[in-house]
Formats: sequence, C-alpha cells, structure tokens
Amino acid sequence: MDSLVARYSRPATLNRETFSEDLQDGLHDDMNPGLSLKFAMPPVAQPSAWLRAATDDHANPNCPIKIAHGTTTLAFRFQGGIIVATDSRATAGNWIASQTVKKVIEINSCLLGTMAGGAADCQYWLAWLGMQCRLHELRHKRRISVAAASKILANLVYQYKGMGLSMGTMCAGVTKEEGPALYYIDSDGTRLAGNLFCVGSGQTFAYGVLDAEYRYDLGADEALELGRRSILAATHRDAYSGGYINLYHVKEDGWVKHGFSDTNPIFWKTKLEKGEFTNVTSALD
Amino acid sequence: MSSPFSINGGACVAMVGKDCVAIACDLRLGLQALTVSNNFPKIFQYGDVFLGLTGLATDVSTVSDLFRYKVNMYRLREERNIAPSTFANLVSSSLYERRFGPYFVSPVVAGLDPKSGRPFICGFDSIGCIDFAKDFIVSGTASEQLFGMCESLWEPDLGPDDLFETISQALLSAVDRDALSGWGAHVYIVEKDKVTKRLLKGRQD
Amino acid sequence: MAMFSQNPVLNGPNYSFAEVPKDAVDGLREHRFNPYTDNGGSTLAIAGADFAIMAGDTRLTSGYSINTRYAPKVFKIGGTTSSQDDANLLLSVVGYAADGEALQERLDAICKMYRYRHGKPMSVSACAKRLSTIMYQKRFFPYYVYAILGGLDEDGRGAVYSYDPVGSFEREQCRAGGAAASLIMPFLDNQVNFKNQYVPGTGVGHELKERERLPLPRNEVEVLVKDAFDSAVERHIEVGDGLQIMIITKDGIEEKVLPLKRD
Repeated sequence: MDSLVARYSRPATLNRETFSEDLQDGLHDDMNPGLSLKFAMPPVAQPSAWLRAATDDHANPNCPIKIAHGTTTLAFRFQGGIIVATDSRATAGNWIASQTVKKVIEINSCLLGTMAGGAADCQYWLAWLGMQCRLHELRHKRRISVAAASKILANLVYQYKGMGLSMGTMCAGVTKEEGPALYYIDSDGTRLAGNLFCVGSGQTFAYGVLDAEYRYDLGADEALELGRRSILAATHRDAYSGGYINLYHVKEDGWVKHGFSDTNPIFWKTKLEKGEFTNVTSALD
Repeated sequence: MSSPFSINGGACVAMVGKDCVAIACDLRLGLQALTVSNNFPKIFQYGDVFLGLTGLATDVSTVSDLFRYKVNMYRLREERNIAPSTFANLVSSSLYERRFGPYFVSPVVAGLDPKSGRPFICGFDSIGCIDFAKDFIVSGTASEQLFGMCESLWEPDLGPDDLFETISQALLSAVDRDALSGWGAHVYIVEKDKVTKRLLKGRQD
Repeated sequence: MAMFSQNPVLNGPNYSFAEVPKDAVDGLREHRFNPYTDNGGSTLAIAGADFAIMAGDTRLTSGYSINTRYAPKVFKIGGTTSSQDDANLLLSVVGYAADGEALQERLDAICKMYRYRHGKPMSVSACAKRLSTIMYQKRFFPYYVYAILGGLDEDGRGAVYSYDPVGSFEREQCRAGGAAASLIMPFLDNQVNFKNQYVPGTGVGHELKERERLPLPRNEVEVLVKDAFDSAVERHIEVGDGLQIMIITKDGIEEKVLPLKRD
C-alpha cells in the first residue's frame, strides 16, 4: 500500500511514462494547427531507404502504400501572359485512382502552381508556399515576386533532398516588377526560369504539339487552344494522363480560369470536325 | 510493373444470356504507358466459337494464329465446325503443352453449343486450367474492375439486347478505371444463326 | 490460433519483423522494420443533395485469417462527449487497422478541442484540410490508411472528401476505398455519376446525348451501397461479414448494420 501511495504521490513531472508523454506532446502539437515542419520519422537508421521500400512502387512493385503518380502539365509564356494547362488523372500503378484531380493549385490571386509527382507533396508544399507568400506580403507590404516565391519552394525541397519527396511543379505568376514569369521547380532542387515547360509522364507528347505550334506572339484564344490541344494529345497517347483539361490564363491583373472540361467530347469534336486523330477507328473493319 | 501480362494491356469479358452469349474486348495495344495502337481487337472467330485473348500482344497474335490452324485442321478432318466445349479442351491441352514456358495469355472462350444451342463460356489461366462459369468470365489488366461490374450488373436470362447493354456498360466502365486498357471496344452478340458485331465508342484517354 | 501462429504462410501479425532475424556471415544481424499489416476490408461513401452516406464492411483480416467479424471502419467524429451523440462528421478508415484507429482518435481529439475552444463544431471543409495536414505530418512514416471524410457542407449539401495515405485530398461525389475499391469504384462511376450512359432516342452514333448527372435520392443510394458490397463480397475474400452504414443528414447521424455473406 505504501508503495502505491509513494508511486502516486511523486511530483507530476517525474510521473510521466514515455507512452503518455508522447501522446501528450503529440496532442499538444495537434492543438497548434498550421503547416509545421516537424515530421514523424520511422525508428530506423535509414528512414529514406525504409520509406522507399514501403511507398515507391517503382523500386518495389509490391509496396504496401501506393502513392498517386502520373500526369501531364504544361505552362508557357506568350505575349498575352502565361497559359497553364493540366490533365486530371491520378494513377496508382495501373489503377486509375481519380479522374478529377485539380492539378493547378491557386497559391493566391496572381500565382499558380502545377502538380506532378506525389499529389500530397504538391498539395501540402504549395499550400505552405501560399502561407509563406502571404507572410511576405504582411511583412513587406507588397506582393512577393514569382522569382522569390519559386526560390522559397526550391530551397525547401532542397532541404528535404534524398528524403523521398516527389514533385515537379511550375510556378506561374505576374508582378509589376517582373511581368509574367514562369519557373520550373522539382524535388531534386532544380529551379529554372523559362518560356515553356511540360512536366509529367505525358510531357513528351505535349512538347510535340506545343513546340510545333508555339510562337511568342500568339493571340490569347490561340494560346488557350494550343494549351488545350497539347494536353489532349498527351491524354490520348499517355496511359497515365487523362480525365479533364484544366485551363488557366495568367494575365496582368491575375489569373483567369478557363474551365475544367472533359476530354472525351473535346476529343471527338477535334476528330470529327477538324479531321485530326485519323488513327482512331470509327467504323467496323 | 513489367509482368508480361501487363506490358501491352487489354481487357476481355464474356457473358451468358438467354439462348445467347456475348463476348467483348477493348482495342488498346500499348508499351507500358505509351499507347501504340488503338485498333488491336482481342477477339477471334473460329466458325461458331469465339476466342478472346488478353496478355502479351505477341503471344495473343501467335496463339490466335495457332488456334486458327488447329481449328482448320479439325474442320478438314471432321468435316464439321468445332463445338465450343471441344475447342475449350483443345485450348486447355495446347496451353498445357507449354507448361514450363507458357504463352502469357489469359484466354476466354464463348459460343453456343451446335447441338443443344446452349450457351457456353469458359476462361483459362495461362497454362490451361479451365474455369467453367455459368454467368461471366473476365480477363486482362482490368479484370478486377470487370469482376466488380459484372457481379453487380449481370443477371440470369438476359435477352440479346439487354445482354449487349449489360456487357457494354460493364466493359466501358471497367476499362475507364484501368490505365492500360480502353480506347474503344468490340462486342459480339452470338445468337442461334446470327452474330452481331458492334464497335463501341469509348473514351480515348 | 492462426492469429499468433508466427506461421509466415498465414502472414499473421507475429513479430514486427518480416521473419525471424538470421545471422549473416559476418555475425551481424539484420532486422527488417516491418510495421504494417494489411487488414483488408472496404469502404464506400456517396454524397447526396442533403445527406452523405458512409459504409464499410466489418471484417478484419490478416493474410487468410479473419481476426474478427465485427470491427467497425466508420466512426463519428467531433461530438462533445465520448458517446458522439452530437457528432457532425464521419470518418472511414481502411488499410492498417491500428493506424486507422490512431488516426481516428487523433482527429476526434482535435475536433473535440476545436469545439471546446470555439464553442461550435468544426465544419467539414475545415476538418478536411486539417485531416490532410495530420496525415502529411507522417509523410516519412505514413499512416497506412485510406481515409474518407463525410459530412454536410455550409449549404447543407452532402460532402465527401477522400485521401491517399499521405494526405492528398479531394472533394468528390463518391469514393470507394480499400481492398475492393477496384471492384466497387467503376460501378459507382456508372451508377452514381452515370458514366458511359446515354439518353436513348437523342440521336444515333455521335449525336447521342450523355445522361445528365443528378444527385440520387437517399433510398436509391442505400440500395446501391448494399448492391456494391454484395458484389464485392462475392469476389473478394477480405470483404464480408457485416455492412456498417452511417447516414448523416441535418437531423443527425443514423447508423445501421446489415448482414453480409460470412464465407
């Protein structure tokens, strides 16, 4: 009995078992929401190698956790601003997990990010980037430049290099100082400024159409149509791209959305009215 | 990821109806992610029987030609068309001959028995084990999706028109959830003295 | 006692290690850290005009053994008390049951704290975003869980949010998760979103009009859920035993458990 009393009358600070301690701390963190940089780690010597075995279906086809991959995204600069276009398919192996993914992430009214690679990585870190951009605005009383925003993201992913993040993203936006600006950032830490990028498993198909027809002095409607047509070509030939075409136009005073439209009617319209895609049969034998 | 059964992609399904059978396949031929052709039918007609072949495309072509040869030889010797159940046993024994170096195909057989007119369908694994079924048979990279669709849409004693609608909806919805199959489809409805072949307009992504 | 048999064929939860550690040539022992088990099962959620329905089977397996025939996968979230009578959210989890339970408890604790601090329940959209960050906090040691969150949005419409194991999420009309997702999901595309359905008599060939998507009434959705699971049970060994259905409307949450095949 004395031992029981002794046990329960110890100072509270000494009466912490590891289990409840973990739980308390965990819950304490939970109560302070916001995008923090504290991540739980597996209790092993090589977390990244372990994570690869558990989640990377390329390294281990029988991995238990399938992370969604596969994409076609493109963005290009032209005289009237920037066109951003994506497909909407998410695949896990050959399984089409979703046909309605929003791969253009609206960071703020003037900045767009695109999503290729790990869906969660892109969603989380672009939301985090949005937070950083807003903080920059509050601190400096002016909007962040696209160059600075993209650099924040590039520095962040570089910190996590080798940990297994997977993202290929484009940041498109306009500011007074830069005009329309386009950057490519990937999880290796690459950050490139450019006029034209295609990212994802269907990138080559999109480049094929885009390079053939691209000019800097394209009209706005022509540019939108070119973006749409490039994604359409990629969805047709790439098994891991498809679903809907998500189109955005970034202009002087912010971005404008030009629809989230099903590829199927667009495909048949393109085939039947313009006579393209003659490889697709529509008659028996 | 590079199992021989899922390099080229493709799906096939057969269903039993009232005095009729249906068999359908998609039209894709790919090389992993790349879609090479959108006109590669996987159903072959040998007299009154239909053979659906999914799996490695080179073996699909080889095996379909092999059975064309064997069925022609049968017809010359016996002076009659081969019955579906006989053909099923021919498929089984031919595949088992390659027990230790199999063709990477998952065949499906469908047809009406020439004597009784009774519907016959069956499926096989790549080394010839026959799966006799009274309802439906699925094969290919979309087989899980097809199982789900067929199990929920199929019912006994469907007439030819309802059977066509059922098999078409089952195949199209299934391949729309599989990255490696789709790009259009062929459907055969087999009735006594009549075969109807239709092309389905499917999603091209 | 297949559960604790340590028989690799039965693939039960014995060690946290895949196999008994072997002595290598140089005398060093190599352990594989293997913290996950797939406990099978399947879940399903459909959003309606003024309701959301969440369902899951109640079988819990590891390998070929059935550990229990009644382990619920759908949970009420965010009530004021442990009875969850006034909960306004539903969470379904499938994958590794231990991670699922941990995630459910964590989200519930957070929603309860939110309710206590703000004096109002958490909205679905807020909870959806929060759940995403919770899951992403374990990006490098993921919850092996496919989660679906359900509730009613600010306009009273049914809302369903689906997640991958590391927290990417999307609002959807319907979603199937878990072992039989590949069997159920195409059926839902066809019957809930009317994919590949055309209106008869609106033309021939390319002129045919696609069937317009309208939210289904509740009784029809309940039938679809039951049909989907009855089909999945036939063709998937990890699905069966019982079907737990929760329906959230403006009047609260209704729960029922229907029998499924137990073979």
